Amino acid sequence: MLSFDADWSLMTPEIVLAAAALLIFTIDFMTGINGKKPFIGRLSIVALLATAALVLFWNGGNSGSIGDMFVVDPFSTAFKILILTGTAIVIGISMYYLDRHPDVYQGEFYSLLLFASLGAMLMVSSADLITLFIGLEILSISAYCMAGFKKYSKKSTEAAVKYVVLGGTASAFILYGMSFMYGLTGTTSLVEIGAQIGSLFDAYPFLVMMSLLFMLVGFGFKISVVPFHMWAPDVYEGAPTPVTSFLTVISKIAAFAIILRVFFTGFGGIYEEWGFIIAIVAAVTMIAGNLIALTQHNVKRLMAYSGIAQAGYLLVPIAAFVTLDMTVSVILFYAVAYMVMTLGAFAVITIVTESSGSEDILSFSGLYRRSPFLAIAMSAFLISLAGLPVSAGFTGKAWIFFQAISADMLWLAVIMIVTSIVSFFYYFGIIRQMFMKEPKEKEGQLRIPAGMSGIVTVTLIFTLGLGILPFLLINFFTTMQWMAF
Amino acid sequence: MIPNILSWLVFLPLAGALILLVIPRENKNVIRSLAAGTALITLILSLIVWSGFDRGASSAQMGVSYPWIDFGLLQINYELGIDGLSLPLLLLTTVVTTLGIFASFTIQDRIKEYFVWTLVLMTGMLGVFTALDLFLFFLFFELTLIPMFFIIGIWGGKKREYASFKFLIYTGLGSGVMFLAFIAMAFKGSEAIGAAEATFNMAALADIYANPANPEAVSAAFKTGLFAALLLAFAVKLPIFPLHTWLPDAYAEAPVAATMILAGVLSKLGAYGLLRIGYGILPDQAVSFATFIAVLAVINILYGACLALVQTDLKKLIAYASISHMGIILLGAASFTEAGLQGAIFQMVSHGVITALLFFMVGAIYERTKTRELSELGGLSKSIPVLTGFMLAAALASLGLPGLSGFVSELLAFIGIFGASPDVIPQAVPIAVIGALGIILTAAYLLWAVQRTAFGQLNERFTGLKDARPVEYIPMVGLLGVSLLIGIYPNVLSDVINSTVIDFVSRIGG
Repeated sequence: MLSFDADWSLMTPEIVLAAAALLIFTIDFMTGINGKKPFIGRLSIVALLATAALVLFWNGGNSGSIGDMFVVDPFSTAFKILILTGTAIVIGISMYYLDRHPDVYQGEFYSLLLFASLGAMLMVSSADLITLFIGLEILSISAYCMAGFKKYSKKSTEAAVKYVVLGGTASAFILYGMSFMYGLTGTTSLVEIGAQIGSLFDAYPFLVMMSLLFMLVGFGFKISVVPFHMWAPDVYEGAPTPVTSFLTVISKIAAFAIILRVFFTGFGGIYEEWGFIIAIVAAVTMIAGNLIALTQHNVKRLMAYSGIAQAGYLLVPIAAFVTLDMTVSVILFYAVAYMVMTLGAFAVITIVTESSGSEDILSFSGLYRRSPFLAIAMSAFLISLAGLPVSAGFTGKAWIFFQAISADMLWLAVIMIVTSIVSFFYYFGIIRQMFMKEPKEKEGQLRIPAGMSGIVTVTLIFTLGLGILPFLLINFFTTMQWMAF
Repeated sequence: MIPNILSWLVFLPLAGALILLVIPRENKNVIRSLAAGTALITLILSLIVWSGFDRGASSAQMGVSYPWIDFGLLQINYELGIDGLSLPLLLLTTVVTTLGIFASFTIQDRIKEYFVWTLVLMTGMLGVFTALDLFLFFLFFELTLIPMFFIIGIWGGKKREYASFKFLIYTGLGSGVMFLAFIAMAFKGSEAIGAAEATFNMAALADIYANPANPEAVSAAFKTGLFAALLLAFAVKLPIFPLHTWLPDAYAEAPVAATMILAGVLSKLGAYGLLRIGYGILPDQAVSFATFIAVLAVINILYGACLALVQTDLKKLIAYASISHMGIILLGAASFTEAGLQGAIFQMVSHGVITALLFFMVGAIYERTKTRELSELGGLSKSIPVLTGFMLAAALASLGLPGLSGFVSELLAFIGIFGASPDVIPQAVPIAVIGALGIILTAAYLLWAVQRTAFGQLNERFTGLKDARPVEYIPMVGLLGVSLLIGIYPNVLSDVINSTVIDFVSRIGG
């Protein structure tokens, strides 16, 4: 049970981030609700990077827990670094975006982003259903608000309403599934659930499976896998573009982290019972996501379906289980790759759609003439998303293939390859617009502010770097023992 | 010899491409000469490799090997090396690409990008021909896809976007199948010997799959499936009927120099992969497929030739001729005789230079007449005698006139198939006889095409056209020269490939 003499210092990064978020909220409150506030954005980035430094150096090598509820281990540390750097990049994109939208009240935007990443941090550190749910809700509620941030835009409002209703339903599913587990075991600790799961399943197979399936529905919603993906295109389209990038990348990665923790720590003992369900969900998600993406003309919707397809790829290593450390390594590597290529792509999308005022794919036409750098960078991100060499996406996907084959799941690997080739159509469709079409006459050279070109450059370096020198990360990952619990 | 010379060779064009990136686009002549210079130095390096090659040895030479990525399940090395199969193709790549770059000097639009992509493409092709690790092979194989997509899609003809997407998807699917086959091969291989980590090393895999002590894990059915998958994968690139439909579009739409590279070198990647990986690792399965491959080859030869006969567009005619001639490579390879395999490799090189030359001539004629319709052309020998002369020479080389490389190649390939062991191909003679019909058809469509282009009534529009420019002589003389050299003195090539070919044939039957 939780005792108050536990090592609370493990939570220092979270406490610092929470304090920073509140401080920024207060500063914002004191400076009035109107006007541009780039300094708050900068402050938020500093807060995130400071937290990341704490995660790395304060908790770094340690493993420990606060009463088995809040865990610090290499798994949580790695995901937290991802979440924090990802959020920092999102804030960088937001600063550009909000700069061009003086009509949007910038007030709480940055502190909401910080709270969202705080929630994500709590999620990845949870070894208990309660803390996990709290983290999930902190993230979700902040995200609902952010989705509706363009309050004079009908689409944005619609997105927020849709998101809050469906997201709430998903949370309810998760909670319902958790309550089954609590009723059966009398505990919310994943470790204890994991210890009992074998005998529990023998005694109450139906209830255990119900619990698992309800949670899977809820989590499946959060990572937007088919058939729980319906909300994603609408919400992604309606939400402000930086928020879309946050939802596609950070909240999805965090949700994957808790899926790993819940399913392997809690339900690991009965893997045979649910592994194939994940495999089927992965297959359906890859097929539907990639096929529907073919028909999209709105870039943000296209990225939503692309994100759905990518979530399908990320499920494959869970379905094709070899060892836990391997699965976590593969997912983490792909998560890193997914983060840099997707955020990079979103940075470019933000610049292009903001300058043309349209989110149609046609706004990319002739981008090469208007900004060769952006066009080349975007091509690299898209090639990486499509999984072609030499890119992070290729290496990540190759590693997933390897695992699927070594787990004898050839059929899943085949689906992944075929759907990846389908994805060439829509990813290269954007490339075609950029390189093979002429820009509309009135559009001149694109001006890119330093911050944005910095973001694009850094993500580009990582996207290509992890394709050429993947061993820097892989050799490190394969030696790790990720989970303390 | 320069240490690590193969790495230099492979990555030099890429380095050139990177340097090009920082040069302002306005400096067109600097860009052109830098691209040509890079390609020339690469060509010189490949000649150094050629001269330093040990003709007596059959195994890979000049190797470099560094550990690269350890996936935990799988060890991947950066491994390059060449043998008698890769070396001729390496030289073919440098020759055709360098001459292709000279032929690209006429390109006026987006010059910088064009040469960057061409140089990246060159690195990809050189990499494929030198890689000894399956992962690396795949990487380079895919690396050729992206530049070609851009080159066709940006600088191509009217239907360029359609053609580039078709090219991308078809060859992408082929690559997907190939990658799956590679992974399955590596993992089953490691299972068979009980290794903790799988390997992608070609030589190691060949040892595993050749060892009769490993039948338990790698059953005959599995090996057959694997070979079928590899055949399917490489058939797309080769291309083999019915997976060829991307080719006429891509060839017809790509800009001249790109078609030279595409037809001259890129299509050889498929044949090379089939020999290197299919034959190299699974020789016995290859033998069991020999009849099937030979039949496919004959279909390719006749089908390509028949379609070439009915084309009205000169470039499309040569595209279909190319399908037909690729069949001869396959036919030689199917025979599993020394002559046949020699013929296959000869044909790869020979077809590479001759097709490149043919496409170049079509481009040069099109540039002047603005048409490729055979019905509109005619009598060009009166207004542009030099160009039509080279066109005729290329056509004669292509239909196998003695003294030119096409003759040696076809002769060897047909000697091979006629002499194939009945254990390998029971019906070798009928297959060979039907295949030989292709030679007659080839003569028919090529001579007819030349006749309708060069001779007859001169169209009024085409009087006073400019004949060949000095810069055009470089690719014309270079390519025809290689064809002549091989035709007159085949030893220059057979000398290099013999040991490897003998080794290939000796591997049949474990």
